[in-house]
Amino acid sequence: MHGFAFVAPTAQAEVTGLLEEHGSEARLLAGGTDLVVGLRTGAIRPRVVVDLKRVAELRPGLSDAGGRLAISATTPLSRVVRDGRVRQWFPALAEAAATVGSIQIRNRATLAGNICNASPAADTVPALLVYGAEVVIAGRAGERRLPLDRFLLGPRRTALGRDELVTSIELARPGAGTFAAFGRLTRRRGVDLATISVCCSVDAAGVTRFAFGAVAPTPFLVADESGVLADPDADPETKDRVLAELTGLARPISDVRGSREYRQAMLMVVSRRLLRSVVDGRGKG
Amino acid sequence: MSETARVSLTLNGEPRTVEIGAGRTLLDTLRWELDLTGTKECCAAGECGACTVYLDGEAVNSCLVLAAEADGREVTTIEGLGSGGRLSRLQEAFLETGAIQCGFCIPGMVVAADALLRETPRPTLDEVLQGLSGNLCRCGGYTRICAAVLRAAGAADVTG
Amino acid sequence: MIGTSARRVGGVERVTGRQRFTGDVRLAGMLHVKLVTLDCARARIAAVDTGAASGVPGVRAILTAADLPRPIPRYGPTYRDRPVLAVGETKFHGEPVAAVVAETEEAAEEAAGLVRVACEELPAVLTVASALDPSAPLVQDPELRPDDLLGRTNIRREWHFGWGDVAAAGADCVVDEVYTFPMVTHFAIEPHAFIAAPDRDGLIIWSSIQHPYLLQAAIAEVVGLPLSKVRVFAPDPGGAFGGKQHAKFEPLLAFLALRTGRPVRLALTLEETFQAVRRSAFEIRVRSGFRSDGTIAFHDTECNALMGAYADIAPRVIAKSGYLICGPYRVPDARIVVRALLSHTTPATAFRGFGTPQVAWAIESQMDEAARRLGVDRLEIRLKNLARRGDEVVPGDRPADGDWAEAVSRAAAAIGWGSPLALGRGRGIAVAIKASATTGASYAIVRLHHDGSVTVMAGTSDMGQGARTVLAQVAGQELGVPLERIAIVMGDTGSVPFDLQTSASRSTVFMGTAVLNACREVRRQLAEIARELFGLAEGEVVVEPGIVRAPGLELRYEELLAQAWGPVRGELIGTGVRRGEHVPAHPLGGPPAFYEFNCTAVELEVDRETGEMLVLRHVSVADVGRALNPAHVEVQDEGAAVMGLGHTLMEHLLLDEHGRIRNLGALDYRIPTTKDLPLELRSLLVENGDGPGPYGAKGAGEGGLLAVAPAVASAVAEATGAVIRDLPLTPERVWQAVEALGRGGRPDPPAA
Ligand SMILES: Cc1cc2nc3c(=O)[nH]c(=O)nc-3n(C[C@H](O)[C@H](O)[C@H](O)COP(=O)(O)OP(=O)(O)OC[C@H]3O[C@@H](n4cnc5c(N)ncnc54)[C@H](O)[C@@H]3O)c2cc1C
Ligand code: FES
Ligand code: FES
Repeated sequence: MHGFAFVAPTAQAEVTGLLEEHGSEARLLAGGTDLVVGLRTGAIRPRVVVDLKRVAELRPGLSDAGGRLAISATTPLSRVVRDGRVRQWFPALAEAAATVGSIQIRNRATLAGNICNASPAADTVPALLVYGAEVVIAGRAGERRLPLDRFLLGPRRTALGRDELVTSIELARPGAGTFAAFGRLTRRRGVDLATISVCCSVDAAGVTRFAFGAVAPTPFLVADESGVLADPDADPETKDRVLAELTGLARPISDVRGSREYRQAMLMVVSRRLLRSVVDGRGKG
Repeated sequence: MSETARVSLTLNGEPRTVEIGAGRTLLDTLRWELDLTGTKECCAAGECGACTVYLDGEAVNSCLVLAAEADGREVTTIEGLGSGGRLSRLQEAFLETGAIQCGFCIPGMVVAADALLRETPRPTLDEVLQGLSGNLCRCGGYTRICAAVLRAAGAADVTG
Repeated sequence: MIGTSARRVGGVERVTGRQRFTGDVRLAGMLHVKLVTLDCARARIAAVDTGAASGVPGVRAILTAADLPRPIPRYGPTYRDRPVLAVGETKFHGEPVAAVVAETEEAAEEAAGLVRVACEELPAVLTVASALDPSAPLVQDPELRPDDLLGRTNIRREWHFGWGDVAAAGADCVVDEVYTFPMVTHFAIEPHAFIAAPDRDGLIIWSSIQHPYLLQAAIAEVVGLPLSKVRVFAPDPGGAFGGKQHAKFEPLLAFLALRTGRPVRLALTLEETFQAVRRSAFEIRVRSGFRSDGTIAFHDTECNALMGAYADIAPRVIAKSGYLICGPYRVPDARIVVRALLSHTTPATAFRGFGTPQVAWAIESQMDEAARRLGVDRLEIRLKNLARRGDEVVPGDRPADGDWAEAVSRAAAAIGWGSPLALGRGRGIAVAIKASATTGASYAIVRLHHDGSVTVMAGTSDMGQGARTVLAQVAGQELGVPLERIAIVMGDTGSVPFDLQTSASRSTVFMGTAVLNACREVRRQLAEIARELFGLAEGEVVVEPGIVRAPGLELRYEELLAQAWGPVRGELIGTGVRRGEHVPAHPLGGPPAFYEFNCTAVELEVDRETGEMLVLRHVSVADVGRALNPAHVEVQDEGAAVMGLGHTLMEHLLLDEHGRIRNLGALDYRIPTTKDLPLELRSLLVENGDGPGPYGAKGAGEGGLLAVAPAVASAVAEATGAVIRDLPLTPERVWQAVEALGRGGRPDPPAA
């Protein structure tokens, strides 16, 4: 690995100060499961690596207030997966987070890191999109919030400014009667990056939302407001037509994980299956 | 700002301090600066688990941890398992079930399995398969490794 | 002792992290090496500028081809075709152009990145088709191959085997298909590591090598030293699977050690191991004739095997597997054309199974195709044609040496062959034989110490197969000594006698016999001592394991030695040998010592909509003659089975147009994890005590992977109707095949 300086500030202001000073020469380190790989391969060559794990304001944890759950930027995914509130209120997020890497990876990897890394295949992003997650951002000028879909600009590109970092991710507790599930396809059953990933939710009003991962420059959200998809009695062919329209918005590429055609076809298959399980769950719930 | 870091950690229960390049991973530091070569390197990318160690009580891939991050923290490696020269119940079980072949994956596998049993003292086979899915073995087909974990779990004192 | 599942010798070291692998060796003053490579497979090297790199603090030497003797030293187990560093042109992605030696790994890496190579990328030969194209560039300079009629082609060698007259053979049904088996890599969890150190007027090499004595010879040859001045330490490899048989970068390190006068170390990254070793890719066309009842009439085969830029041991792999391509069957007429092709890719080498998985993939898939067309059961067609003990499989060569039909019947029973199947499921069964080692010599020394304990010195490498344990068991059995009192010394050419190689599942048979003979020699010496000491006649003394008996006398070995030698003491040294002589007239240099036979049966479920497969049951039946350590044999076989699932379901090296591996590294080259196991995996052993090894043992440890691919593909075909002839059977490939079938006439997809 090439040389760089390592700093572990204890206050958030130091972090933003360092970012201000070094700009793109500085890299933030949360769990390091993307960053350290990049450092090793030389894909990134920062002058300064700033560890976030000792920053007092960013202490790991999940807190809820007023029906919103805030997940701090240093919370490892293993903790997110275990958290009772996440499992109860945001089960599709728990499922998605549980698919990330191995237990060793999840003991380090963070939710904030997953979104800031801005990979088209980031597994938690479809779930966060479906749940309408908000990204809490801090900079020298103070705090701002962005919905996740406006935070992600493209592969490896986010809306963060030079001096900004993500401090937490917030989720509003879904209304009663919302059901959601996450699914993905991989080349092997064990630890793998997604060939495609899908999160699906149906709310009490009968609006069905899908977020698709690994089939476009960033995971993206679509919705069926007509209620057709959520209707257990709707004719399967009509449903398929609606689904095909939604999945048709994907722009998958061919790579070592799968061809464009396969991804496109699987998006439909996985979406159809997820929808069925969500609608079934709703019927029972 | 300096490109070196001074790292003080508790390693297998002993305080240790090293002066290293800031880019040095915990894995390299263990193997080259601290003379603990039991922890192995294969992929250096978080994929194989050969480098698994405990960091503050949680299993992590030491190839993805910068040594500097371990400052002030506790690290336990394969050399730190078992007690007073005696094998742990889990290590015994690896021997008893014939889980070991070339042995290169085994230190990481044992640490990961130890962590699994601490978290889930009575795991099902599925939980074992899930819990060890970040550890690659190319020799033995995994079945006996899983058998060893289940066997150790059957004993009262699992990891002691 | 024999036939018990003794615990692994070296197990405690491995479970505590105390086992020293090559990469764990630390020498005073050791320097670190980093290779300088180019970003494409083939390029003309115009100039190498080391200026900036030499300026990096800690750099001690930078070696380029210009620093090496002319002509450049070349090495290789088949042909001396591989240069120590690329000269003039690189021939595969990852071939080093220069090597940097520095005080730290970081400095070496940094400097390697600063070596500037002026080069021009050239078109590369990357596929079988281009290797066969007469207008393609030549991979190897024809001057390296004088007197070779094929010297101006990329065919490194071509063989014609066969018997009978295929052209004249009639058949009721002819199946003519092409099968492909892609490049895959060994992915031993221990990446290769090497150290070379000057040692007075010689060299010491440490390497995670399977064949230390062949490495010793290779080094001696390239640097011009006698064998006695090259000592190889071979710490137990952390998995090898054929990928660590022959010299890789040790010759380069030898020159670096001589140049710097210090120990030099190179530990490959996993990515570099992908660029260092792989299995030969095969394209096999088979035209097979069958009678209407399923009897084989003929096989007419053409195997094009894609080796890399240098031959390594691949020609042997290709010839040996081609020779036995017809498998464990009675085949009246066969024509076999085999080509070993050069390409601008990673040099292919041995890989567990030694070419058999590739040829079995083709032939067993042909058997299935014939069964489907003729309406014969897939198990029946195999049993009908399977060679029975004593039947010839290749006329004039070693006949069938096992009860193979018994193994097949057991596999069929274990998988529930013929019982009803749930929708979306299928079963498959396949067989294969692999020719074991043909020639070769193994020497062993057994030292009986005066306290009755034993040291065995054997040149085998214990790379996980458990050679230490088995050899200790043999010595323990013969000399009546518990395993705790036996030491096994291996991995040092300076003190342990010659062994040709650890491969081809040969060690139990070859080295096991050598150890057995050495033990018996020790027992002869004990008898002689007893006779002399007590004035007894021939025949009056009987030496049993641990005990010397004579009329009115019963002494433990150490008691006898104490009485005979008193305070001066001493030790008995027995030597044992097992040689398989070279037979020049035989196409393989000699008949195989035995056949390794395997039958694999699987039941699986296919998700027709996604192509995903779930193996529900996997049964592997191996004919091992006698399992000296059943637990070890089984775990080897299970490991082989799972490795077979790897190349069947997910493994392949993908190249881009520059000849670079696209899935270079663990992230995108997938091998099975715990979650990819079959729900049930069983390894069954047939033990009829009919092997040539000690106590009737045959070799084992490769069988489990030989027949996995055809068995799985057969099950997929039964489950979906889709016949796939290219590996791996990724979900996407299965999906495509199912889609291609269309929905006409097939059952609806199972409910999700
Ligand atoms: C073996 C392996 C398997 C994996 N499997 C999966 C998988 O299945 N699915 C998946 O989605 N991912 C996977 N990943 C990728 C990775 O683990 C996740 O993306 C992870 O969530 C990243 O989090 P981190 O905390 O480790 O991020 P880091 O590596 O610390 O950081 C990632 C990036 O985000 C930036 N960053 C981090 N935190 C902040 C912040 N608070 N504010 C601003 N920028 C920040 C960093 O500077 C860096 O650029 C895998 C990785 C490995 C090594
Ligand atoms: S070496 Fe760390 S996970 Fe492979
Ligand atoms: S025992 Fe060899 S890799 Fe696991």
